[in-house]
Amino acid sequence: MTGNRQRPARTGLLISLVLLFVGSTALAHSIANDDANFVLGVDGPAVLPFIYLGAKHMVTGYDHLLFLVGVIFFLYRPRHVVQYVTLFALGHSITLLTGVLANWQVNAYLIDAVIGLSIVYKAFENLGGFRILPFQPDTRVAVFVFGLFHGLGLATKLQEYELADNGLITNIISFNIGVELGQILALSAIFIFLSAWRTSSSYLRHAFTTNTALMTGGFLLAGYQLAAFFLMPSYL
Amino acid sequence: MNNDQAQQAPSPRALFTASLVATGVALVVLFGAILPAEFGYDPFRIGQLLGINGLSKGDEQPLEAQLLPHRSDVVEFYLEPFQSVEYKYTMDLNAPMVFSWNADGELYYDMHAEPAGLGVEYAESFEQGTAVARTGAYYAPFAGIHGWFWENRSGRDIEVRLYTSGFYDHSTVFSGSVEYDREIEPLIPDFPEPDL
Repeated sequence: MTGNRQRPARTGLLISLVLLFVGSTALAHSIANDDANFVLGVDGPAVLPFIYLGAKHMVTGYDHLLFLVGVIFFLYRPRHVVQYVTLFALGHSITLLTGVLANWQVNAYLIDAVIGLSIVYKAFENLGGFRILPFQPDTRVAVFVFGLFHGLGLATKLQEYELADNGLITNIISFNIGVELGQILALSAIFIFLSAWRTSSSYLRHAFTTNTALMTGGFLLAGYQLAAFFLMPSYL
Repeated sequence: MNNDQAQQAPSPRALFTASLVATGVALVVLFGAILPAEFGYDPFRIGQLLGINGLSKGDEQPLEAQLLPHRSDVVEFYLEPFQSVEYKYTMDLNAPMVFSWNADGELYYDMHAEPAGLGVEYAESFEQGTAVARTGAYYAPFAGIHGWFWENRSGRDIEVRLYTSGFYDHSTVFSGSVEYDREIEPLIPDFPEPDL
């Protein structure tokens, strides 16, 4: 979130969204070739490299980041941020670990589409959308469940690395630790940015627009992944 | 969190508009830019209009025509105990080569390249180790000389055979302090070279 402070904040957010899209040369779901080649050469436990890869995936994974923006948008106290993010981390750790260990074969595009929709969900909730519905979903449960999906997404990415069995558990746990570290890094940046913005009156004024933009970004990511699912030949 | 949210809570009508705008913008960007550019899918001919069709698919091009004729080369030589030698090909940037070499004993090898005109201190090594055989595909990361250093660290003579095929124009041998160009020996000697 590097919105230009000179501009109205919503424009900044929209520009960031567009830049995130334009700047990403690869599909959100694919892994960098060099990283894949590195992992292919690893046979045995490699704690630090996998921590690095996990952190890199999180920091450069704009789908996870946009979801986190949605989650902490209305969380003012660090204590609440920690509470929600712990639920999210718990959710994605469960599916990341079991997904890789049990070798679940889930389609990465579909999972990434659900992750895109998780951003839509959170933005809609931030807009107060569920007040008009007869039922009120518990935000904590929702964040935990979407954490499970984000973890499945992480598991599919890690499985693309063609991990050696030797040192597998150490490497998955290292990757998971890296994901949490990357998340703390990214969250700190987002939280500082949002806290700074909150001191200005434009925050609440633009909360509506920002969450609409967030929802748009979620729809875009979901559409992108669904397009990849339906349009890319299955052998790719 | 809910207090602030409640204060700012938009009307159902505004909420409906916001959801509609979000869906609409996403659909326009998807069908107007992302689907044509990323996937070459252009049902509304917008990508054609903007000239962005298949924009991001270019790097998956499987065919890469070359300007040089394709060459092949077969080399057989002996390395005496503790003797070393280098066989290098002059290749342009991105020129491909496939190769196999094998020996009747373990050799130390170093596959590496030197950028043209820059000399040894700019050499880049891609693989080092000991082996009796290696095979692979290579894409020259820069224009220069590309090939192998072999060293026999055993106590007996070792015979080495190198087979290559690719886009290089000549072969240079570095043996001790001697450096000379050798004649490339194609697998099919009378195969006519294309007129390019």
